[in-house]
Amino acid sequence: MSTDTTNGAVIFERIDTWRTILKDQFDFIRRDNLALVGVIIVATFVFLGLFGPMLAPHNPIEHDMKTEEGSIMRLSSPNAKAPLGTTAYGKDILSQFLAGARPTLIVGLFGGLGTGAIGFLVGLVSGYYGGGVDEVLMRLTDLTFSLPFMPMALLLLTFVTPNIWLITLIIAGFLWKMPARVVRSEVLSVRERTFVKSARASGASNLRTMFFHVAPNVLPIGFLYTAYGVAWSIAAQASLAFLGFGDPTMTSWGRMLRMVFDSGNIRIAWWWVFPPALGIAAITTSVFLIGRAYEEVINPEIEIES
Amino acid sequence: MSDFRRFLVKRFAIAAALTLIAVSIIFVVLRMLPGSPFEALITAGNLSEEQVNEIMGIYGLNKPLWQQYLSYLKSILTFQFGYSILRSRPVWEVLEPKLVNTLVLLVPALVTTAILSSLLGMYVGWNRGGKLEKASIIVTTFLRSTPVFITAIIFVILFSYTFGLVPAFGMREVTASPTGYLDTYLSTDFLHHYILPFSVAVLYYSGDFLLLARNGVVEKKGSEFLKLHRAKGLSEFEQLARAGRNSMLPILTYFALRLGMIFQGLILLEVVFAWPGIGRALVLAIQQQDYPLVQAAVFIMALAVIIANLLADVLYAYFDPTVSTSGGGAA
Repeated sequence: MSTDTTNGAVIFERIDTWRTILKDQFDFIRRDNLALVGVIIVATFVFLGLFGPMLAPHNPIEHDMKTEEGSIMRLSSPNAKAPLGTTAYGKDILSQFLAGARPTLIVGLFGGLGTGAIGFLVGLVSGYYGGGVDEVLMRLTDLTFSLPFMPMALLLLTFVTPNIWLITLIIAGFLWKMPARVVRSEVLSVRERTFVKSARASGASNLRTMFFHVAPNVLPIGFLYTAYGVAWSIAAQASLAFLGFGDPTMTSWGRMLRMVFDSGNIRIAWWWVFPPALGIAAITTSVFLIGRAYEEVINPEIEIES
Repeated sequence: MSDFRRFLVKRFAIAAALTLIAVSIIFVVLRMLPGSPFEALITAGNLSEEQVNEIMGIYGLNKPLWQQYLSYLKSILTFQFGYSILRSRPVWEVLEPKLVNTLVLLVPALVTTAILSSLLGMYVGWNRGGKLEKASIIVTTFLRSTPVFITAIIFVILFSYTFGLVPAFGMREVTASPTGYLDTYLSTDFLHHYILPFSVAVLYYSGDFLLLARNGVVEKKGSEFLKLHRAKGLSEFEQLARAGRNSMLPILTYFALRLGMIFQGLILLEVVFAWPGIGRALVLAIQQQDYPLVQAAVFIMALAVIIANLLADVLYAYFDPTVSTSGGGAA
């Protein structure tokens, strides 16, 4: 690390290093087949989340599929009219699958961003200031660790009608603890480096040092955990929906799985199970594969939770 | 060592405070819930208003809130969970067998996966860049990141409905009426039901241990102390053993943490397999608004996490002298 004395130069150097890191990772992703496949799947998923509901041939909840004779087409395997078959209630599975991508994307994206942002800020402030601030913030983190997420989320969702924004909020409110600890331990080591000390010595304020000198160096980990946060949020949302605590007004992949499981049709209706199940599995796995590729580059203290 | 003792005292105090705050939060959340389990009984015409008031008196639900809170604290911290409203039996009587069912399923699964996955992880970490490494990473990443209920459903479709190898749900045949734990768990019928949820749990947790062990060995492989071992002329296998031993600490602490999260971690697994464990009991109790049962189940889950966290911190501080015993907990 160089010890430039002028602030501006230091910042530019930080940004430059950071840019190099990003570029390295980009090249790395291109070289890493797994991550590349992951990126393609994530891109497809984002596309589905944005345009899926428009692409759906029928309304996923309102529309009843009819057979030639005009009766409701129940539990039909894939056919010309319904390429992915129909549910026990005569709904088109392809439409449900396409429409169901949106809530899954919304919760995943915002849950991940919320998780990453809150965790990053808490970890940054906690690690940088140390002492009492650190103690308070870390005990708060401990507390979120000791409140079991799933039961608490179920309880909270029993006295308010679940909607996706609320679910997103609950998820982010519980998951920020993951990045917080990792970012904090990174900050602790960055804080001791020469360029940070010289910034402080040359009279930069605490806030300035924290955001301009320390933060850029731990940003990659913030991104990594934001990505993981996306996967965790999708998994958590799907799990809640599967238990019957999803947004009742929207079709989501998790809710489709609840419907098929509750109606006792997983024994026969494979066409009803596999689209949402594989959709969720593909997206969460992809995010993690991309994350792994990054991790090889950043190599933070690897700490895995689910 | 006095430093270490001070660290211990501090960690225990923190754990106690966390427990207190956690049970208070549970109390507040439960009292915020609308409706009461009696409403259903009144509308069904099973109870009259007077009877309900009488019962409310028995449960202390008509006292001022602070009195309720104090008696709640006293009872829950002394493990007196009161009566299940719906089942009219002591909560502990309802929960105990369920708790045992959960532990019987998950503790062996966790131990199995910790040992097998860590060994595999050390092996692939040592032979980095091999095909086996890539394959094991893809497979375990898939298993770890996919929500466990999806893996469970896929397994049920495959092994129960398609091949008809094992029963799809439950812990014993419907007709079985065993008496006592031994009779319940020592039967081929139980094993038959056990094997599928056990396998899914083993696979679900395999990824974390595999990656931890792999990363530990990868980091150690280039380190100074291995160069020293190589210079000493130790064989490849002996070196691996040393590197493995040195990456045991994160695995050990992670194991402790996981053990604490076990009850809540597999609520979904129990739901899919209709496994009569504490997680499934909790979901049902929430749906039926059986507060005393919910209270007790959530408390047990929170306590497990707090104790496991404490254990992990202490293990870490004890075995890793480089960790300062001041400051925050080891993650």
